[in-house]
Amino acid sequence: MRNFSKITLLLIFAFCLSLSAIGQVKVTPMNIKQRTLGNGMKIVSLQDNSSPTVAIHVWYDVGGKNDPAGRSGFAHMFEHMMFKSTLNMPGEKLDRLTEDVGGFNNASTAEDWTNYYEVVPSNHLEVLLWAEADRMQNLNVDEANFASERLVVQEEYRQGVLAQPYGRLFQYLDSLSFQKHPYKRGVIGNLEELAAATTKDANEFYKTFYRPDNAVLIVVGDFDQKQFDAWTDKYFAAIKKPDSKIPRVTEIEPDWTAERRYMQTAPIVPFPAAAITYLAPPSKSADIPALRLAELILSGGESSRLYREMVRNQKIAQDASFNADIRVDKGLLYFFGIASESGTSEQLEKAFLAELKKIQDAPVSAQELEKAKNQLITQALRQRENNDGKAIVIERAIAYQGDPLAVNSDIQKLQAVTPADIQRVMKQYFTAKNRVVIYYNQAKEEESK
Amino acid sequence: MKNGKWKMENTLKLFLMLCVLSGGVFAQTTEPKPSAPKTVKIPAVKETKLKNGLTIVVVERKNVPLVTVQMLIKAGAQGESKKQAGLANITASLLSKGTKTRSATQIAEEMEFLGADLTSAVNWNSSVVSVNVMSDKIEKAFGVIADTILNPAFSQSEIDLYKSQSLDGLKYNLTQPGFLTNYVASVFSYKEHPANGTPESIESLVRADIVKFHGDKFLPENSVLVFVGDITLKSATDLADKYLAGWESGKKNEIARRIGVLTRIGGTDNSQIPIVNRILVVDLPNSGQASVSFAKHLTNGRVACSPVNRILSCQPNASYFPALALNSLLGGGYSSRLNQEIRIKRGLTYGAGSSFSWRDQNSNFGTRTQTKNESAAEVAELVVAELKKLSEGDIPEAELNPRRLVLTGGFGRNLETNQGLAAALADLYSFRLPADTLNTFMTSVMAVNDKQIKQFAAENFNSGDIIIVGDYSVFKDDLAKRFPNMDIEVIKADELDITKENLRKAN
Repeated sequence: MRNFSKITLLLIFAFCLSLSAIGQVKVTPMNIKQRTLGNGMKIVSLQDNSSPTVAIHVWYDVGGKNDPAGRSGFAHMFEHMMFKSTLNMPGEKLDRLTEDVGGFNNASTAEDWTNYYEVVPSNHLEVLLWAEADRMQNLNVDEANFASERLVVQEEYRQGVLAQPYGRLFQYLDSLSFQKHPYKRGVIGNLEELAAATTKDANEFYKTFYRPDNAVLIVVGDFDQKQFDAWTDKYFAAIKKPDSKIPRVTEIEPDWTAERRYMQTAPIVPFPAAAITYLAPPSKSADIPALRLAELILSGGESSRLYREMVRNQKIAQDASFNADIRVDKGLLYFFGIASESGTSEQLEKAFLAELKKIQDAPVSAQELEKAKNQLITQALRQRENNDGKAIVIERAIAYQGDPLAVNSDIQKLQAVTPADIQRVMKQYFTAKNRVVIYYNQAKEEESK
Repeated sequence: MKNGKWKMENTLKLFLMLCVLSGGVFAQTTEPKPSAPKTVKIPAVKETKLKNGLTIVVVERKNVPLVTVQMLIKAGAQGESKKQAGLANITASLLSKGTKTRSATQIAEEMEFLGADLTSAVNWNSSVVSVNVMSDKIEKAFGVIADTILNPAFSQSEIDLYKSQSLDGLKYNLTQPGFLTNYVASVFSYKEHPANGTPESIESLVRADIVKFHGDKFLPENSVLVFVGDITLKSATDLADKYLAGWESGKKNEIARRIGVLTRIGGTDNSQIPIVNRILVVDLPNSGQASVSFAKHLTNGRVACSPVNRILSCQPNASYFPALALNSLLGGGYSSRLNQEIRIKRGLTYGAGSSFSWRDQNSNFGTRTQTKNESAAEVAELVVAELKKLSEGDIPEAELNPRRLVLTGGFGRNLETNQGLAAALADLYSFRLPADTLNTFMTSVMAVNDKQIKQFAAENFNSGDIIIVGDYSVFKDDLAKRFPNMDIEVIKADELDITKENLRKAN
């Protein structure tokens, strides 16, 4: 690296120039190493020896959208089973290998993916690679564990959906908005279909989706690259890639053609609420950076447009937000509001649509845009403070952009967004026919029984 | 279930056969052993003082170009009466809602333009204003924070807006069984009040209360300013000097907080006294789940202090680390006993745990879990059984050591981020503990033994309260059956008023 070519220097200059527009601070690019094993498994690593810990993520290209028919919530319930026994490990062995040595583990299931992750003292890295390889190929789904974990997931459903005043409304966002795409089922599913699931379903699901060519290993932290490569060869390269094809979701959400409106109720709703959803472009669309910035301009903090207008000025809302819920296939762009003591669902809808019209009719100011960019850069820096944060950023880039290196170009893409770009996307996606309006209110006494 | 078992065996056989056929099963069957551990480096903490008595604490760390600033004021909800519950919280929250020269919107606009997020939090014995910002924007951000601390306007319109938002927020939270449990426990079990206030207390707060609280408590000698991240001690001190040198100290003597004598383990063995003294049910019809808790106020505090040359010098109380280890064993983390018994073995919850809230001279202990209404009484029984087991059963080293490592590992990870480290330091200073307590945390945890934990449980886990918030009609009979000799007090959620002696609204 001693002889920089002129082109490199020029590029560096251009890079700094683009950064100077937003200040002197820059986000250091990550020196990510990638390779693919013979069985199709991808390995992504980032060595950083500043703290004696390591973050290990195994990301599988399967999520709630891949739930089998009549088995809503299955991908998530299966995620729970991955902590049970394997050929070489008794149940909860992963906890012994992580929690018991001062680390932690967890997993999550999204619409598009499932991840399993651990952070451990770095001298435990090899053991965790062994364990992840083991549960990728040797899981043992037994009836007793399956039955007990189903109960846990049902409690998770009750806690997140039934015991939260607005839990059901979040379910409705997906179930009422999507007409065809399996996103409409929601990741957590429902109690009835969870009850119908069997161990046979679990074994089938495991065989279909948990395979090396459907997985990416992401490791960030304190390791030696050569040693790490040798370990990944040793533990993962021998895992057989099945001959069968991996089934993918082929349903495409059709364009919405007319506004749909719903009035929903639930037993305990302390304040009226309203949501307005629009169909979003898929995650690889070039319009995503502009939508992300619009998200911050509309609802990033107390100086944002929605907060100022609806919470402070009109005082009709206690919470008013705009969210770009971007997914691999078309996701949702939605306004979400909970009324104040004096507000109603109708008022929330009217105010959201008025703010929408403003951002469509006139370009956002340079000052507002710069503010949103500063917020995003600070956010990006904070995500990069520790190994697990970096692993998450890399994993999301793989999930939504199909490329871990996107972490090094994302910020430049955000910086390139202009007020005209934002105005264009706000006009393009936020049309009356591309809209679902949901009101959410307290049920009358007799309905809640 | 015979049928189920048959199916499982056959499915398993078929599955294994498929693996063999497809040439799978090359798995390593022996688990590799970890290599030698590395030591976690505890960052160096530098400290200085301004002339007006403000303590400045700095940790320089350059991994990302960010700085976290936390201003700790050693006054929190402890400094307000039950009638004024929420006063400390409203005071801290209103700092950023306007100063003599900036409106609320201007402050939000200025800080958010810098990408800085300004937050405030109120604990029992401290208030913390904190901000995270890019290091090249620290001066501008700091100027705003200093202005909010020195010159808050506390305008009537902002007070009114904040009160109505707080009331809305409370109305929302009081529909959630988990929140309601803590809310009731604060008065019923802990003899305190909720730091976020009650609808009744918030309604009654007036501007003069807020101005007085700020004037009495927000003093430089009563505060600690913590910087962590991409900043040096010199530039931090220069910033503080430039913007906070004009902050006038109060009466020169240190704000007195009632801190008494050293407390030690080794008091009375109370293990013969029943664990549960009272059962309280808050009936929330149609609740999606029931929240089940054991709550107990303890006389074991966080620190032991004594005057040295007329200055109060504090160290962690002797029972503090045994209490932490006990909690780790019982309800701290996924594999703790409560989660093992209630979630992992029985599938009755998504999660069960416990925690201590520390005060100088005492603490509040609580377990928490949510379950379907049908199993609320069963879960209550399981919680009590686990508490009993702590003082009566064995605590094998093979179980205890991992629980110590959960604490030390979590502690080390927490220090990895600027925010985590700044919060850990603010926490120490709020209890008058020296910064080098960070260096001894891990060895203190590793030194805890099973006898200390058993003793702590025997002395403290008795005469506590079971609090259940949920749909009483569903678990009424089962609860009476499982706790046959106990009175069960029931309050309807919509009749609850915790400011009243009997916890009920006057008719």
